[in-house]
Amino acid sequence: MSAPEVYSIAQTPVTCHAFNADRTQVAVSLNDRHLHIFERQGHEWKNIETLSEHDKVITSIDWAPKTNQIVTASQDRNAYVWAQTPDPHTGATVWKPTLVLLRINRAATFVRWSPNEDKFAVASGARAIAICSFDPENNWWVARQLKKPIRSTVLSIDWHPNNVLLAAGSADMKARVFSAYIKDVDKKPAPSVWGEKLPFNTICGEYSSPAGGWVHAVGFSPSGDVLAFVSHDSSISIVYPSGPTVYTIRLNSLPYVTLTWTAEDSLVAAGHDCQPIVYAGSEAGWQAIGTLDDTSAAGGAKAGGARSGPVGRLNSAAFNTFRNADTRGQTSSSSTGEGDTELLTVHQNTITSVRPYEVGADGRVARVSTSGADGKLVVWDAGAVSALTGKMSGMRI
Amino acid sequence: MSFRKIDIDAYDEDVIQETELVEPDPRDPTQVLADAKQKQADVRSALARNDVTGALSIALDQAPYGPNVDEAKNLTLQTVVSILNSTRSADIPAVLKDLSVENQDTLMKYLYKGMAMPGWGDVSGSVLLIWHEKLTEVAGTGCIVRVMTDRRTV
Repeated sequence: MSAPEVYSIAQTPVTCHAFNADRTQVAVSLNDRHLHIFERQGHEWKNIETLSEHDKVITSIDWAPKTNQIVTASQDRNAYVWAQTPDPHTGATVWKPTLVLLRINRAATFVRWSPNEDKFAVASGARAIAICSFDPENNWWVARQLKKPIRSTVLSIDWHPNNVLLAAGSADMKARVFSAYIKDVDKKPAPSVWGEKLPFNTICGEYSSPAGGWVHAVGFSPSGDVLAFVSHDSSISIVYPSGPTVYTIRLNSLPYVTLTWTAEDSLVAAGHDCQPIVYAGSEAGWQAIGTLDDTSAAGGAKAGGARSGPVGRLNSAAFNTFRNADTRGQTSSSSTGEGDTELLTVHQNTITSVRPYEVGADGRVARVSTSGADGKLVVWDAGAVSALTGKMSGMRI
Repeated sequence: MSFRKIDIDAYDEDVIQETELVEPDPRDPTQVLADAKQKQADVRSALARNDVTGALSIALDQAPYGPNVDEAKNLTLQTVVSILNSTRSADIPAVLKDLSVENQDTLMKYLYKGMAMPGWGDVSGSVLLIWHEKLTEVAGTGCIVRVMTDRRTV
């Protein structure tokens, strides 16, 4: 069990992050229009490149490990594919952008390369998902759109390992599984639990969030046979399509906004609760088994004194501050430490993205990385799960 | 300028309707009302046996939601509040712990509905606040988030 590696890389929120194949560099969006590339130098990350091609905030980044291409999606309704090419004048290697014709009239919200890296999918606010593939004749990326039956902004997508199926979570409170089969690119997929014949835009599954929340994140299990999604009604659902059996867990705390599978029987979800929570289960049922953020150890390591509990739990720190100001005339309660707003968790604000960082020898994801609205980038040991008892005792009324 | 007040959705053929977001109650409105009346009677007999958890579960199961069932909604609200009013505050945590997670969410909906009723603050405001505090201790902030997101309003 090793402690998480914590890097404060910005004073601004980190909207999303994507590591390269050997994890020496990371591409991040610092909630602005620039694509920042950081390089690991010892125990620090140094900004080595700032690429400016988008006009508005970059919402999502993905870095293809095999082809070493970066794709970015932005609120300016465009996506760019960045490839390293030699500069014709200086000969130095530079990142060269290629515009993708998405044909959407709203912001692009999310982008992911397919497993074979010959396609990528861009989710958007235009009630559509653009499936982009390379057209070698014209030397550009062309898009085909998945539209029906999406009724609102698509917030997240995830590719099935067979390179054809695509899961999408949307603000119309549904998670769906589509076929994104492109004739010129894909071989006919083998039949799976999601269906046998899969022409483009086949709907292989449609699942509602349990209490009407936007679906923030979706994810296929490593085999692709199970789908998990988290929604804004503070719940996580795990779908086995053959039944269909849906396991829904209603949370005690604030909603998750991102998730990633670490093995066929476990996943990590994180969000407004500021800490990554590990779920484990099988076709027989699912449950939360612990958190990667050992708040008890962190609280002990930090200088003592009362701190407010993890965000989203009941704590009366704000109430006490006002009461002290009212009854005792105390403007700051430095003596009791109640004015301290530092959270017990490593992340001090919403975790915006959790992604697999390193795959172990046994095929399980050994480490995951998170980025947060607090400007932190954290790498966690996915096996270092501490029990949730600390979480409950952290809840103070 | 008046253009800010134009309802642009009226010009959008593909506009999303409230009805598309909520699965309608499969029951007929008259059936819903009959169910609510039946539940009120069941709750009374459960309360007579001093079975508060049972009474709450009866009242909260299959709570009416959606359009055209306002009478049943009001009746259920009155039923729920009558249970809340007749429970001693020392018994509240035990009652809440025995409720299912779904019923905890539904109870939270009724607490907020009760607080939103004009004039109710004077009558049962303190009772609703006590239940709200105890329910949040048991079901957490997630329960409140679900009440805010769920369009199946009671």
